[in-house]
Amino acid sequence: MNDISDAELIMVIGSNTTEQHPLASTRIFEALEKGAELYVIDPRMIRLTDFSHGHAIIEPGTNLPMINAMIHVIIEENLMDEEFIRNRTENFEEMKASVVDCTPEWAEAITHVPADTIRLFARKYATTDKAMILFTMGVTQQTTGVKSIRALGNLAMLTGHVGRPSTGINPLRGQNNVQGAGDMATLPDYLPGYQRPEWPETKDRFTKAWGDISCLRGNTIIDMFNLMEEGKMKAAIIVGENPVLSDPDQLHTMHCLEKIPFLVVQDIFMTETSQYADVILPAASFLERDGTYTNTDRRVQLIRKVIEPVGNCRPDWWIINELMKRIGMDVDYKSPSEIMDEINETTNIYGGITHERIQEVGLQWPCPTKDHPGTPILHVGEFIRGKGLFTVNDFERIGDQRSEEFPFFLTTGRVTHQYHTGTMTRKVWTLDREYPHGFVEINTKDAEDLGIKMHQEVRITSARGSITAPAMVTDRIKEKTVFVPFHFAESPANRLTGQNLDPIIKIPALKVSAVRIEVAQ
Amino acid sequence: MSEVKLYTLEKRHLDEVLSQWNRKVPVYVPHGKGKDINLIPLEDAERTEDYINLTLPVKEMVFEQKEKLFSWERNNEGDITVETLAHHHAGDRIFYGVRACDTYGIAYTDRFYLKEFMDPNYQSRRAKSTIVAVNCLRAGEHCFCTSIGTGVFSTQGHDLTLTPMDDFYLVEAATDKGHGLIEGAIDFFIPADKALLEKQEELRQQVAESFPLKMDLSNLWDDMARTFDADFWIDEANACIGCTGCTNVCPTCTCFNVVEENQDENHGTRVRYWDSCQSDHFTRNAEHHNPRDALSRVRYRIYDKLKYIEERFGYKGCSGCGRCADVCPTYISIIDIMNAMQKTVKENPTEPALHQVAKIRHEIVDREINTRRGLYAPDVATITKIKQETPEIIRMFMKYDDQTLHDNYQHKGQFFQVTVFGEGEVPLSIPFGPSQKDEIVLDFKNVGSVTELLYQMKEGDKVGLRGPYGKAYPYESLKGRNLIFVGSGVAMAPLRTVLEPVLENLHDFGRVAIMASALTYEKIIYKEEMKEWSQLEDVEVHYSLKDPTDQVEAHLGFVNDLLPGLSMDWKNTTALVCASPARIKKVARDLMNLGMKPSDIFVTLETHMRCGAGKCGHCKVGSHYMCVDGPVFTYEEMLSLPPEY
Repeated sequence: MNDISDAELIMVIGSNTTEQHPLASTRIFEALEKGAELYVIDPRMIRLTDFSHGHAIIEPGTNLPMINAMIHVIIEENLMDEEFIRNRTENFEEMKASVVDCTPEWAEAITHVPADTIRLFARKYATTDKAMILFTMGVTQQTTGVKSIRALGNLAMLTGHVGRPSTGINPLRGQNNVQGAGDMATLPDYLPGYQRPEWPETKDRFTKAWGDISCLRGNTIIDMFNLMEEGKMKAAIIVGENPVLSDPDQLHTMHCLEKIPFLVVQDIFMTETSQYADVILPAASFLERDGTYTNTDRRVQLIRKVIEPVGNCRPDWWIINELMKRIGMDVDYKSPSEIMDEINETTNIYGGITHERIQEVGLQWPCPTKDHPGTPILHVGEFIRGKGLFTVNDFERIGDQRSEEFPFFLTTGRVTHQYHTGTMTRKVWTLDREYPHGFVEINTKDAEDLGIKMHQEVRITSARGSITAPAMVTDRIKEKTVFVPFHFAESPANRLTGQNLDPIIKIPALKVSAVRIEVAQ
Repeated sequence: MSEVKLYTLEKRHLDEVLSQWNRKVPVYVPHGKGKDINLIPLEDAERTEDYINLTLPVKEMVFEQKEKLFSWERNNEGDITVETLAHHHAGDRIFYGVRACDTYGIAYTDRFYLKEFMDPNYQSRRAKSTIVAVNCLRAGEHCFCTSIGTGVFSTQGHDLTLTPMDDFYLVEAATDKGHGLIEGAIDFFIPADKALLEKQEELRQQVAESFPLKMDLSNLWDDMARTFDADFWIDEANACIGCTGCTNVCPTCTCFNVVEENQDENHGTRVRYWDSCQSDHFTRNAEHHNPRDALSRVRYRIYDKLKYIEERFGYKGCSGCGRCADVCPTYISIIDIMNAMQKTVKENPTEPALHQVAKIRHEIVDREINTRRGLYAPDVATITKIKQETPEIIRMFMKYDDQTLHDNYQHKGQFFQVTVFGEGEVPLSIPFGPSQKDEIVLDFKNVGSVTELLYQMKEGDKVGLRGPYGKAYPYESLKGRNLIFVGSGVAMAPLRTVLEPVLENLHDFGRVAIMASALTYEKIIYKEEMKEWSQLEDVEVHYSLKDPTDQVEAHLGFVNDLLPGLSMDWKNTTALVCASPARIKKVARDLMNLGMKPSDIFVTLETHMRCGAGKCGHCKVGSHYMCVDGPVFTYEEMLSLPPEY
């Protein structure tokens, strides 16, 4: 995180950092105090734009053309880091050919960002030594999510902004341990530590440790719900997740949960999802258990139990251990530290991270051995795959588009005082008081055209469903674009979002849905 | 206060002294590393001397983040008993290692909580707390107590101070509790010569000199008056994310919010939590109206700390500890802001804002009420009768369950705090006069969650009452004058407090004009009474409505239109106005155009009152608490308030 404070230029794309990562945004403010420049790409005038040196007010869903046009400008104006490209990357020429037509004027027509703004962003980013990119779901939760990330990779490699302090493309993690959960393979196509099941060495290792089933490929969450609907998935355990509010197409989600014959929900409080459960397993909160969290900077940190679990609740690891035992598996983990021992053995990047070593300060993976100091910066000197690969990322429109019936784009997100689906924060009066209910941000001019007044209840409708929420009329959002936070069960934004998926990894396009708005009757 | 006596204590004996004290009374000592320093009981702590300051001021020990105010229970017959919990608090404790900025904070919070409506929770904890200050020899990054004038060595708020010198501490006892500590380990304290005070003063100057931050704040209030509307506030407001970190770590922050925590429908507890003026909802009301926007919210904290508190209570509201600048995630710094004020005044001089130079000092001691239960516990009353005044407004009659409360009832103040057990509390005006001694009456509209439940209550149901609170219309000073009462809709209710005694003693007054207004005649309250009052000699009642009616003769339009036609002797007329701040301004403007003085126009400003006693902080406007300094003000006083009501 110190890298952010030392940056000379920070480009924030698809991240409302002050509201969703206030401590990361503190580092941005530190950099600004030291004279750094800030460039923001977002369809909303998020708080950071009050302090930015440039703001690209972008049409939702069009990050990719913007990035490709920046790459075009950098190549055209010869602002590349040629030495870096020559020594550390491959496939440059193919990538170069793919952006020949991506002029800023071409991108302006798609993104609504003035061509000169795109040029400014490109020049500033390319010519600043310590320039870093921060991004979150505003990039990934789109049908072009993967391509946009790869394009950002192109952009960073093109300018040599990789593998050095205060550079790189940096995803800010949305949960305290989403990095750790990903590291431990709560992903369908990986084993812990991003090891591919099809790699022979990995297959051997895990077959030995966990048996033959360990290398079966899993399903994405979207696929799993579809399998429930088709009647192929008969039982599910949902752990610490509230898909009724957080997954796209709420009505579909609820329909699937109604349909599945047996559902277990494991959480610390009752949620909208646990209403559908046959069995609820009460989990212990962070104060009631030991373990580790892996933070946004890949730092594995120890958490310690402060109080004994209240009532019948138990730590998640304990519950899973008991479930495994009761279905006849030969396991008996006694503590999180014992589980970490197994992680050390099977997962190279966590190989040297033991509870003993992280008593005071956490370690950043990769940390393969017990005497390894951890790795603050990735890709130093050499990429993990060897040469950095330039990719071709052509833009095509997939998923919801504006139409006569649905003339607005809806984008979703969060507010400072609520967290995710509000299962915890909405129970705290001081947080709930700040944002007691949902709202829909709408541009002043659009509101005028539709006769919508501040705080008036409006109806928002997409092809999937319809919700109501009070209007927040503001100039801080692009015209023909509305924003709804997804925290609130009473105005569930994800009743409107759909299953428009990124074709490569099937992440749903939660940030782009076509909707219409009207005064609620 | 006893005479200050000097002692020395050898540093090598300190641990023995602490453990001797600890044998009788638990001693809390600083424990931790870096900026994470907490007061922990001696047995559980490895005491540290390597710290600039405690993470949280010692205030957290006497004004806890969460405190119970009272619990209530409803029995099978529906009777409610209220038990005050204010005295169920921790026993005696000694807090060792407190810095000068925090002892100063305690001196202020003592003034704030213990005088004028004494806070029973604070009082009970404070009486059992002994504070041992250890003077600082070095400054932290944001320390500026020397610039503010509260440090560098502790001058008040402590019972005992230790100044580290060479291999001993110079020890001064400031209170009987402090002397008690010395006597509790008398073998180790050696009486010292006054000459040591000179050495201590030399040391103090050396330490003060070593502070990295030095500001000349001699013109601070003038600078503040001239920068109330300065541009730099926009940047500060844009940066604030409302995390409330600054107020959570402040030694002089005293605000709280009251929350109901119910065990079940018949058992509940009212608790208070620290609250923060830096949260948006601190002043927002149910209808979205918020007298403070993001800018005035951020500015308010700075003005309160640097000016309003001192104007009001005579103590610095900022002790210069610098914690708020330390914790702010977006680098809002009270130090930078003071520098920005000085710079702005120098570079771009403007006239001082009028509301920042007016001097009004409110004395509220005479309005205190003493209840046997302590400030926050309500008295139970039973609803005896309910009258539907208008389709939206109810007039509710009630009697205290304890008859002696009626016998001792003093008709003063302007409102009651009304509790619906399990739901919460609302301030409601007193729409009756002093001659009514055996009954409490309340008029209200169903606008929020508490009034909604109150609205559904029936005869025989129980509510809780605290009060009466607030400064009322000044009945005595109205004698001999013509009076105009202006009230729209339910806003006539607060006027009835003074209207009733006026009507009972008409011979003491000149002409009396009652100006009732509403959208429709149906929405006028006291319809029958108005008709009776209009029959009285020298009393006239005028209606202004939006929709026509055949019930009474009414003007269609605003009440303002009727004022010139009253043809009063304006110099000898007093107006009593109850309406929204915007309507008040329009009525007052027209009255002044007719020749009235702003000091002869009385208004009520009922913004966001919660505790009723100037403690919770929600209704503060500038250095004034609407609940105790108001809600009744003269229009002249209203204009001297910052425009945040």
